[in-house]
Amino acid sequence: MERFTVELIVANHYGVLNRITGLYARRGYNIESLYVNVTENPELSRMLIVSEGDGYIRTQMVRQLSKLYDVKRVILMATVKETIEK
Amino acid sequence: MKRNGAQIVVEQLCVHGVDTVFGYPGGSVLPLYDELYKNAHRVHHIITAHEQGATHAADGYARVSGKTGVVIATSGPGATNLVTGIANAYLDSVPLVAITGNVSVPLLGKDSFQEVDIVGMTQPIVKHNFVVRDVKALRDTLREAFHIANSGRRGPVLVDIPRSVQEDICEYEDAPPLEGETQPTAPFDTRQAVQAIRGCHRPYIYAGGGVLASGAEAELTALAERLSAPVGFSMMGLTAMPHHHSLNLGMCGMHGRYAASVAQSECDVMLALGVRFSDRATGNVEAFGQGRVIIHVDIDLAEIDKNIPSHIAICGDVKAVLADLLRALPPMKGDAWLARVEELKQAELTPPVADFSPRNIMEAVSGFCREDAVVATDVGQHQMWTMQSYPFVKPRTLLTSGGLGAMGYGMGAAIGGCLADGKRRAVLITSDGSFGMNLTELATAVAQELPLLIVILNNGVLGMVRQWQTMFYGQRYSQTTLDRRTDFPALARAFGAAGYRAESLPQLADILGRLPAGGPAVIDCRIDRDERVLPMIPPGGSVQNIVRG
Ligand SMILES: Cc1ncc(C[n+]2csc(CCOP(=O)(O)OP(=O)(O)O)c2C)c(N)n1
Ligand SMILES: [Mg+2]
Repeated sequence: MERFTVELIVANHYGVLNRITGLYARRGYNIESLYVNVTENPELSRMLIVSEGDGYIRTQMVRQLSKLYDVKRVILMATVKETIEK
Repeated sequence: MKRNGAQIVVEQLCVHGVDTVFGYPGGSVLPLYDELYKNAHRVHHIITAHEQGATHAADGYARVSGKTGVVIATSGPGATNLVTGIANAYLDSVPLVAITGNVSVPLLGKDSFQEVDIVGMTQPIVKHNFVVRDVKALRDTLREAFHIANSGRRGPVLVDIPRSVQEDICEYEDAPPLEGETQPTAPFDTRQAVQAIRGCHRPYIYAGGGVLASGAEAELTALAERLSAPVGFSMMGLTAMPHHHSLNLGMCGMHGRYAASVAQSECDVMLALGVRFSDRATGNVEAFGQGRVIIHVDIDLAEIDKNIPSHIAICGDVKAVLADLLRALPPMKGDAWLARVEELKQAELTPPVADFSPRNIMEAVSGFCREDAVVATDVGQHQMWTMQSYPFVKPRTLLTSGGLGAMGYGMGAAIGGCLADGKRRAVLITSDGSFGMNLTELATAVAQELPLLIVILNNGVLGMVRQWQTMFYGQRYSQTTLDRRTDFPALARAFGAAGYRAESLPQLADILGRLPAGGPAVIDCRIDRDERVLPMIPPGGSVQNIVRG
């Protein structure tokens, strides 16, 4: 298990945080730290989520997160292996 | 022009080509139902007996037509009654838009009468959902909802519209449906796959619901013939190739056919098309992947390497990928492999016995129906017998609850399937347990005069659970012996349908020969409760553990 950080650009409206943390919770992955702020563009927020997981978990999380309609971009920070542009 | 929210909903249904919706009225959707009343000539609304039936009907309508199914329910209990149907559509990737009313905006969040957070509740079982708090956002929200539901990997979307928003007025202009993909798809590369296939000796195609979703049935058959590759199916993919094609081995997985499972375990390249490798389909994950190259094609990147690690992954639309493969791959001969496959098919054959077995009942029913009849099932043994032996010929003629395995799915689905294409003949194959869950929808089928034949493989038990109790729980039949005294033929007649009982093949043939031309009919077929679904690969096992009986 390795600590990994995901950076997300998401739509800035109510309910978005729920959708994202719900994905982690459903799979039983604990979030160690979470940071959210509005970007220069008020329609978007940036999130940084730190959690733990092996390669399989990291890849799954990035891919599942990128499927959420409110998520505009996902970057896996620790290894920057997979970036999904939307 | 000025329109209120309810009018905008109706306009957008029309813009999206929705001719039929399923639903149930209530306090929070009164304005919407008032508009549906005024627009009955444009949008046909079918009222079911229960909102669960309405969601399954919208799902069945979508599976048959390929269009997005629409279901409407009121807030609170109306909305919660949709949940099973939405989950079902999610797990089987069916395009569905669920519209729920909610309490007026000022009452939201106050535990008002019939207020539930349906958006929160359905979050994990939808592609996306919306609450519309401002009528000005309604038109474009609905356009997004339809777009999300029926693009990429299909699925359900819920739009929650508070009653006040249905009444609020704003400036409205028609706008066309949104097009293109909501999820970006990077260009795919098939070169590695082509190389692996060219070098292989025992190719096998494993085809799933993605083949039907992308309309790639013709490409699938063409590629199978080109490569001399037998094809096994997940439950969702089963109708993608006519049953009588010599390369069609039928369903694989826990209750898959013998030849399909054994051939799958002997192949050297498996081309998996639009499948998600569910645990019911793969059994033991290590054994499944061992000794072969797995090429996984799916439109959903998150499915790649989720359940089964692939050696070669292609993320893209199955139809486009197959077209590419067909351009690149030359005809391949595989005489030894085809001979082996033929041998396995022969080993599957059992001598015919003229008993009142599920297989013989299936044969009589399919003989009665045309090839384009829609076949719906519930969940249990009868479902697996249908998968194993119903001779499907046309794509999109099977409605069954795959991922969720929801008993009670069949009645609603059959109604929706019937109505998807001008009252097409539909058959529901069910059993006493499942039929008991949603049989109230008989009322809907009667009211709509649907040509729906309901065949109850009545074993008096929750057969599938009983089978597990027989095999793994020392025959302790905890709560699975129903033996209810329900008289299904009389019940059918009470609903206004025709009702019959059959206890032998000649009796069944006689009933089928004199069924009324229109309207639903129920045939209660009394079968042996100890009939088992075989073959079976026990959970977590591999083809080595197959029980053939
Ligand atoms: C809604 C729901 N509840 C429970 C189950 C668990 N279950 C799976 S199969 C089955 C038995 C189904 O019995 P029946 O409909 O009579 O079909 P049979 O197996 O006898 O053909 C049960 C209870 C389920 N799949 N769905
Ligand atoms: Mg039964």
